[in-house]
Amino acid sequence: MAWRNLGRNRLRTALAALGIVIGVVAICSLGMATVALEQQATSQLGDLTNEVTVSAGADSDTDGVTQEQVEEIRSIVTDAQVVPQKTNATTLEARNGAEARVSVTGVTEASALYDLTEGEAPDRLQSGALISADTADRLGLEMGDPIEYDGQLYRVQGFIQSEQSFGFGGGDLVIPVSGLSEQTYYDTVTIIASDGEAATAIGERLDTRFNTEDDERLSVTTFGNQAQVGGFLDTLSLALMGIGGISLVVASVAILNVMLMSTVERRGEIGVLRAVGIRRGEVLRMILTEAALLGAIGGLIGTIVSFTVGMILFHLITGDATGAFGWASLRYLVYGFGFAVVASVLSGIYPAWKAANDSPVEALRG
Amino acid sequence: MSVVELHDVVKRYESGAEIIDALKGVDFSADRGEMVTVTGPSGSGKSTMLNMIGLLDTPTAGVVCLDGRHVTDFSEDERTEERRSELGFVFQDFHLLPMLTAVENVELPSMWDTSVDRRDRAIDLLRRVGLGDRLTHTPDELSGGQKQRVAIARSLINEPDILLADEPTGNLDQDTGATILDEMSRLKDEENIAIIAITHDEQLVEYADRVVRLVDGVIRT
Repeated sequence: MAWRNLGRNRLRTALAALGIVIGVVAICSLGMATVALEQQATSQLGDLTNEVTVSAGADSDTDGVTQEQVEEIRSIVTDAQVVPQKTNATTLEARNGAEARVSVTGVTEASALYDLTEGEAPDRLQSGALISADTADRLGLEMGDPIEYDGQLYRVQGFIQSEQSFGFGGGDLVIPVSGLSEQTYYDTVTIIASDGEAATAIGERLDTRFNTEDDERLSVTTFGNQAQVGGFLDTLSLALMGIGGISLVVASVAILNVMLMSTVERRGEIGVLRAVGIRRGEVLRMILTEAALLGAIGGLIGTIVSFTVGMILFHLITGDATGAFGWASLRYLVYGFGFAVVASVLSGIYPAWKAANDSPVEALRG
Repeated sequence: MSVVELHDVVKRYESGAEIIDALKGVDFSADRGEMVTVTGPSGSGKSTMLNMIGLLDTPTAGVVCLDGRHVTDFSEDERTEERRSELGFVFQDFHLLPMLTAVENVELPSMWDTSVDRRDRAIDLLRRVGLGDRLTHTPDELSGGQKQRVAIARSLINEPDILLADEPTGNLDQDTGATILDEMSRLKDEENIAIIAITHDEQLVEYADRVVRLVDGVIRT
């Protein structure tokens, strides 16, 4: 019955459904876009999110992390790699006169920190040096060329991939930790955990072990409180959902209008229904069913379109269209469909109530 | 006993400062198996009277009884139940639902009621009004007379005691009107119901067992 009522004015029904489709597509595809962005961001920031960085705290007696502290960290953190580093800065000069200001990092476990474009990062860096590819380019350095730092010569063993992750791109020159032996203490200790959650847990363990309320001996930073990227993504997703929400509100108003029009148009007919003994509740139910059907049709089409749009978005943002199949993005389709039906029924309530409570005499008079 | 009675029914409409007495103390009754026509000039209160009997409206004063029961003070929902079980309506412009077939239109009053299946009675009624071969036609595929016959079948689907007709032949030509009236008169006897019809149509008056004339909200005999 409700179905046939919708069929009577196909154009109007189609337009109302189109409104819902647009609303659903807006909310779904924006939601899925957020998921795609999130996946992309996490995969790019992945190198950072699982790291814990330890340096000397504000109340430390020394201007670095001591060897004893490193040992202690190693004894506490058994499930992750602990990489102590010493850092300095210097100016490298090439034979052709080109100069480059670089930061110098002394580290043994080079493979844990650096990805190379050429050569291989040794698990234990003993003699050679690694240099960022763009700096090497600028200085005209090639594999095997010597680099001098602090009176020592190091042969270039590999080139570090530039901008391997933001914040770490300036590693520039990496030499064995022995090369910075005049520095007693380590400047930073990087701990590489399996994932962001483990990193946070390790950070908390270290913090409670070394620091008290007013005595910070070691400064422990994890990605979680270091960067606000997660928070930014949340805000972004909220903003996108807001836009989607507005379009659904617009769609709801369209449904309200359509239902109102169709009940006004059918006033006499509803009067007849009431006259022949159809109860008010039954009239109400009929119109709500129409609204729900409208929402379901619009929602269904919207969901299908959104899924296609979602696949395209995933393809564009992450380069992998199948990412749209994940629950994280599929759930937006469920939300979108649910919202379409709920919004339609809500928009149908007022016209339905109005139609059901209209006096039959007035309605029959037209 | 009369199946419907009006005792001293008054209906007053107030629109702004204007007060209109559509009915000024009407006494009326009708029995089963009787066709009563109510005539009178337009604005005399015919429709208002029919609305009172049909429980579509409530009187300002007076008493309405159906089958000896006082229904004057019934709530909207109780009146709906009364209409559902005791009353049938036929309108001047048929008021069939355009998207339903003839059978479905006849079933309409009980369509929401899952406890009864009136399909068989609907088909039977349509056969009795001569539309046995038009069961699955929609209203726009039927002529005016056929539509009114569907409407009459619809009004009888719930086995009512009273059939109320508002200008049932008003939109039909003379011959079609006559066949409709034949039909109604026959069904009145078969179903043993009271038919109360309001009309301008002299033809309808010929078929009536009794004619009541309403002028300015008062019955003149």
